[in-house]
Amino acid sequence: MRQKWQIVGLFLLLAGCAAPAPAPQTAAEVAPAAEEAAPAAEEATSAQVVIAPGQTIRIGGSFALTGPIPDPGKDIRQAAEIAVDELNAAGGIDGFLFELVAEDGACSGDQGTVVGNKFAADSTIVAVSGGTCSGETFGLKPILQRARIPFVSPSATNPDVVDAECDVCNRVALSDALQGQVDADFVFNQLGLRKVAAMHDNSDYGKGLAEIFQNAMVALGGEVTAFEGVQVGDTDFRAALAKIGAGQPELIFFGGYSTEAALIAQQMKETAGLENAKFMSDDGAYTQQYLQAAGAAAEGTYMSFVAGDAQAEKLTTFTEAYVAKFGMEPSQLGPFHGQSYDSIQLIADAIRRVAQTDDSGNLVIDREALIAAVRSTAGLAGITGTLTCDELGECGAGGVQIFTVENGEFKQVAGFGM
Amino acid sequence: MRWLVRLLGVVVLLLLAWRVAAVGLAEGYPASFWISQTLNGLVLGGVYALIALGYTLVYGILLMINFAHGDVMMIGGFTGFFALQLWIGVGWLDGSALWVVLALVLTVVAGMLGSVLAGITLERVAYRPLRGAPRLVPLISAIGASLFLQYSVLLIFGVTPRAYTRPALIEGGFRAGDVFVPYTGIIIFIVSLVLMLALYLIVQRSKLGRAMRAVAEDKSTAALMGINVDQVIVFTFILGSALAGAGGVLLGFHNTVVKFNSGFIPGLKAFTAAVLGGIGNIPGAMVGALLLGLIEALGPSALGIPTEYKDIIAFSVLVLILIFRPSGLLGEVLSEKKA
Repeated sequence: MRQKWQIVGLFLLLAGCAAPAPAPQTAAEVAPAAEEAAPAAEEATSAQVVIAPGQTIRIGGSFALTGPIPDPGKDIRQAAEIAVDELNAAGGIDGFLFELVAEDGACSGDQGTVVGNKFAADSTIVAVSGGTCSGETFGLKPILQRARIPFVSPSATNPDVVDAECDVCNRVALSDALQGQVDADFVFNQLGLRKVAAMHDNSDYGKGLAEIFQNAMVALGGEVTAFEGVQVGDTDFRAALAKIGAGQPELIFFGGYSTEAALIAQQMKETAGLENAKFMSDDGAYTQQYLQAAGAAAEGTYMSFVAGDAQAEKLTTFTEAYVAKFGMEPSQLGPFHGQSYDSIQLIADAIRRVAQTDDSGNLVIDREALIAAVRSTAGLAGITGTLTCDELGECGAGGVQIFTVENGEFKQVAGFGM
Repeated sequence: MRWLVRLLGVVVLLLLAWRVAAVGLAEGYPASFWISQTLNGLVLGGVYALIALGYTLVYGILLMINFAHGDVMMIGGFTGFFALQLWIGVGWLDGSALWVVLALVLTVVAGMLGSVLAGITLERVAYRPLRGAPRLVPLISAIGASLFLQYSVLLIFGVTPRAYTRPALIEGGFRAGDVFVPYTGIIIFIVSLVLMLALYLIVQRSKLGRAMRAVAEDKSTAALMGINVDQVIVFTFILGSALAGAGGVLLGFHNTVVKFNSGFIPGLKAFTAAVLGGIGNIPGAMVGALLLGLIEALGPSALGIPTEYKDIIAFSVLVLILIFRPSGLLGEVLSEKKA
C-alpha cells in the first residue's frame, strides 16, 4: 500500500517536471475575475432598511487594519470616523445619527469575503465604505452585489474593482489603468529609461498594476527585461533580485505595498547589476512607513500616487479635526484619508437623497433607490475634488502624482491629469 | 515494487538534470550570477540551520515537534530590536567601532536571552504538563503556543513591522568583480558556524551534553542512572532557543524587518531542513539547512521557473526525501526511536 502511494507521488512529480515553464514575458492575463458564488450565508436583507427613532444609520467599513499595510488602513478608518463625527455634529439626517461599523478586511480576499458575509447577514447595514485593498474588495464585491448593499472604496485601485455588471460597486480612488500608464510614461519620457524590470507581490492590486505598467512600457517601445513575482510577507528578495540583475535593467518597477517595497529598495543596493538601477513603486507603497523602513535606500526612489484634486480649505478643516481627535497628522500614517472621508460623505449624501420618514417616525431607506442614488452622485464637493460617479462607478477626481524621495521626504516631481 | 520506486527515482533525477542543462544553455547566466545565488543560499542556509537545530534537539530528546520554535525566534528578533533601540538611545552606535561591535554583540545576546525566556516558559507551561500524554497532544499544544506567541506580540507591539537600524559598520558590503557580498551575510554565515560548532562541542564533550544524549536514548533508564531528566530537557530548550534567538537577531540585521508573524515561514523552512537532514540528528540539521538554502536560491534559476515558486521547490525536495529516505539524508541519530 505504501509503495503504491510512493508511485502515485512520483508520477505527480514527473508531471510537474514535464510541464513547460511559463515564459517571463507573457502579456497581461485577464486580471483576477471576481470569484463568483462563494456560498454566502443566505442573507435576510429586505428591500428596505427601517430605522426606528433612537437607532443609528449603520455604515459598514472594511479597513486593512492588519496585513501588509496596517498604517494606511488605520488612517482610512480614522478619516472615516472624522467624517461620521462631522455628519453627526451637523445633526445627521432628520435627527438620525450615523454609526461606523468598522471591520478588519486585512487587505486580503479571504478576509474581505468574511467581512462581506458579516455585513450581508446584518440587515441594519445600509452601505459600506471599503475595502482598502483591491484583493479585499474582490472578496467583498460579489457578496455585497447579491445582498444589494452599495459600497464605495476609498483606495482599491485595480481596474476590475468596478465593472459594468456591478451596480453596487463604486470607488473614489482612481483606477490603476491610469496610474500604470502614467508611471510608464514618466519612466520612458521624463526619466528617459528604456530597459526596465517589473516586480509584483502577487496581490490582485500589485500584480494588476505591474502588468499594466509592463504593457504600457512595451507599447511605448521600451524593453521589459524581467517580470518577477514575490509574495506579500516575504522578507528576502535577493534570489529574485539576482535574477533580475542579470538582465541589467535601468529601473525596477514594483507593484505592491510599502513593507516589501522598502525591503526591495534596500536589497537592490546589495545586488550586483542593480546598484545603480532606479526604483519605482506605487500608491500602496507611498507611506511614511516606507521612508522609515527603507532608510537611506529610499533616497532617489520614485513613488506614484492616485491623488485627489485637493481642496485646500476643506482639507484644513479635516486635518484640524483629525489632529484634535487622534493627536497625529493624517499623512503620518497613509495617503488615502481624503478619499476615505469623501467615501463616507458620498454615501451620506446618497442616503440623504433617498431616506424618508414614515408615519411612525421611522427612517426608511430603500436599498435599490440607494444603489441608484450613489451611482447618480454628481458635483458633490469633497476633499479630493468634485465627485461625480460615471456609469461604471468611478467617482474620483484628480490625477496621478509622482514623487521622489529627497532627504527622507517625499517631493513631488510630476503630476498628470490634475 | 521496491525496484520500481528506485527506477522512477532515477528517472526523476535524469529529468531534473536534463531540465537544468536545457535551461542553463538557453538562459546563459554568467558565472558571477551563480556565485551570487550560491552565496545567497549559504546565508539563508545559515539562518535555517540556527532554527533547525532547535527543532532537532527537542525532537531528539522529547520526540516532539516544537511548532512554536519559529515564533521563539521571532521573540528573539523583537528583543534584539528593543535592545538595539536602547543602544541607539544611549548613543553607542555613534561611538567608535569598538562600541558598535560591543552593541551588536549585546544585541545578539539580548535576542538569545529573550528567546531562552520564551522557550523555557513554553516548556514549563505548554509541554511539561503533557509529557505523559499521547504524542499528538503536545503537538497540538505547540501549535497553540505558536499562535499565542504571534498574537500576543501582535496585541502588544502592533501590526506595523519594526525596522532594524543597521550601524554604518555593517551597512553595505564589498564587490568582487560582478559578485556583491553584503557584510550582514558574512556575519550570519560566520556566527552561525561558530554557534553550531559550540553546540556540537557542548553536546559531544560536556557532561550536560552526555546527559542529553543519554536522555535522548532512553528517558527512564537515564533517570535511573541519576540524571535529572527535567533539568536536561530545560537545558535542551535553552540551547535550542538561544540559537533561534541569535538567528532572529541576525535575520533582523540582514532583512531589517521584524513583525509578529516573521517567525512562521522561517520556522516552517527550518523544520523542513531538519527533516531533510534527518530530524534528531545535529549534523543532519546543519547539512539539511544549508542544502535547503542552496536549493531555494539556485533552484528557480536552474530550473528556469519564476522565483515566486521557490517554496514549491523546497517542499518538493521534502516530498522526494520522504519518499526515498524517510529518515532524512543522514538518518535519525540522536535517538534511535522512530516516529
